[in-house]
Amino acid sequence: MVENSLLDKIRLDLFNYDEKAIKADVEKALEEGSSPLEVIDVLSGCMREIGDKFARLELFLTDLMMAGDVMKVALEILLPKIPKEKISTKGKIVIGTIKGDIHDIGKNIVSAMLTASGFEVYDIGKDVSASKFLEEAEKVKADIIGASALMTTTMPALKDLIDYIKAKNLRNKYKIIIGGGPVTKEYAEEIGADAYAENAVEAIKVIENLIKK
Amino acid sequence: MNSVNFFEVLKRSLSGPLVSEKEFNLMVSKKLKEVVKEYDIKFDGENLVPSDDSLADDVYKAALDFYSEVGTYCMDTERVIKFSEEEIKEGLKNAPHKAFFGEGKEAKTFIPRKPESKEPPWCHVGAGIAVSNEEIHSKLVEGYASIPEADSISVPALAFIESVPIRESPIEFYGALKMLASAKEALKRAGKPGMPILNLVSTAASQIAGIAVSAAQFGLKPSNGWLVPTYPELKIGNNELCKAAYLLSWGANIGAEYSPLIGGYSGGPEGTAVVFVANCIQGILVLKSTYQLAWITNVIDRCSSTKDAIWALAVSGQAISRNISFPLIQLHYQAAGPTTKMLFYEVAAGMIEIVASGQAIETAHPDRAVEIDYVTPLEMKFSVEVAYAATGMKRATANEIVKELLKKYENNIKNAPKGKKYQECFDLKTGKPNEEYLKIYSEVKKELKDIGVPIE
Repeated sequence: MVENSLLDKIRLDLFNYDEKAIKADVEKALEEGSSPLEVIDVLSGCMREIGDKFARLELFLTDLMMAGDVMKVALEILLPKIPKEKISTKGKIVIGTIKGDIHDIGKNIVSAMLTASGFEVYDIGKDVSASKFLEEAEKVKADIIGASALMTTTMPALKDLIDYIKAKNLRNKYKIIIGGGPVTKEYAEEIGADAYAENAVEAIKVIENLIKK
Repeated sequence: MNSVNFFEVLKRSLSGPLVSEKEFNLMVSKKLKEVVKEYDIKFDGENLVPSDDSLADDVYKAALDFYSEVGTYCMDTERVIKFSEEEIKEGLKNAPHKAFFGEGKEAKTFIPRKPESKEPPWCHVGAGIAVSNEEIHSKLVEGYASIPEADSISVPALAFIESVPIRESPIEFYGALKMLASAKEALKRAGKPGMPILNLVSTAASQIAGIAVSAAQFGLKPSNGWLVPTYPELKIGNNELCKAAYLLSWGANIGAEYSPLIGGYSGGPEGTAVVFVANCIQGILVLKSTYQLAWITNVIDRCSSTKDAIWALAVSGQAISRNISFPLIQLHYQAAGPTTKMLFYEVAAGMIEIVASGQAIETAHPDRAVEIDYVTPLEMKFSVEVAYAATGMKRATANEIVKELLKKYENNIKNAPKGKKYQECFDLKTGKPNEEYLKIYSEVKKELKDIGVPIE
């Protein structure tokens, strides 16, 4: 059992977004006998705290991104030390901004918050075609596809995405969530999405529920 | 020393330092934190419309330091377009400090104001919110242009053409042509054929469609205004630069459009106020704009009616007014929709903040500007009335009134009432509001008088 002070230090490293320190401290914790799962548990708690602080705008998008990067560094050390059957993520999600739309801050926030919440996130960027969404989802064996549009003129591409997946007879394989400025719950229902969220904070709750279904 | 010209900007977009977009985002965030700390800029929830000139000037200085270090990111070339502090100062000195719009008897000069100015603000009436058909579009434009104090208008976007959704595709071109024909007819009916439209080209969201419908044969004059968007924070693409090149070659008015986000890469309200001013500098140096249209929203509540957004808009507006003096139109996104008292409270808070802080207004943007048909001329008329009532108002008075208004709506921001569509609260034949909406409008005006707004 590792001394609590080292776990506290790891916690602090994450809050300071210090990749170098967390790498050294996680390695030290493992050397001193801490279990990888124990360390992951501490880190997950920190990420939840960071997500909650963002929801209250006590922290911001860059904090989410930097914490996510530091978490990745720690997980790269920890995950190989855990037997495969014991590794659990909340689910895999492919996320992107739809074809024709280059507004990506909302999507970036959702992406960072999902990472903070323990999802395995594959962010495929902005202006992404329907075929690219599906290709990536198939490649990583995703559970969920998340797509956003900020403009009324790009919103129809969300329907294209769902139609494309249907046309490939893969609609039942994925849960699809959509969002973005002009997108509404009614529109999500109309085009056959599984879920909709008004903002990033809600998106995390909705996706957590979606994955349980 | 000459200012950096547009061709030089393009050259820098092809030769500036190479960085990834993520690196640029992180650099923006890091540098903003540094200048906010260095200049000791602090959000104050009790002073939403601050009267402290030194705060405004510090925000300007911070923006100058910040922008000279960070620059503008070209997303297509992954290069940073950078300017030295000397080039920035020279560019700001040589920027057009007034803008000329409109034709005939509607021709006007947009002159920037100062905080607490007794000169009424430039009133840019309307919103680019999408509507479902030409009939509503036409009625809205006629309604906006008929507001006597309107100096320019924003025309709505059309959401459909022949029942086909207008989307990012060549359909946009036909949609935009139809939208322009509708707008021109409506302006004639209002007796104001020369009134400038400053949100060209609504309905054509892609820059290529916007350029196409601006060709000479479609009749638009350069005395209108074309919006060229930039992306949070301080990012631009080749399409936007191409549109600017086209408009500059024609001598048309370019409106730099930007919308910093509280909670995004700029962090809290302090960093967002600084980045707003940096965006203004960018609009002058990179896009060679003659006017600008900008707003701030909070990423969680997605509107501008929150305390932090009001403060950031007030402080940045004052910083620009006092130190750059450039034709800037500020606007607020409201959370509530037409036929609700909450919409009027939010609009009043926004207009009072903008006018007391020395900027020009764009009128209401109900329902976060995203609901099709949820927009009417009545909230636009109300916006102008409040803006005129706030003309000459001291910032300290404005601050107290804004705080009173916040008490009336702040708790409802997250679950704001959606209100009604145009066709549900206006008569499509006469273009007049129904009794219900007029009653709400009159009641809120009375409430405003009770809290010290000298509204007619």
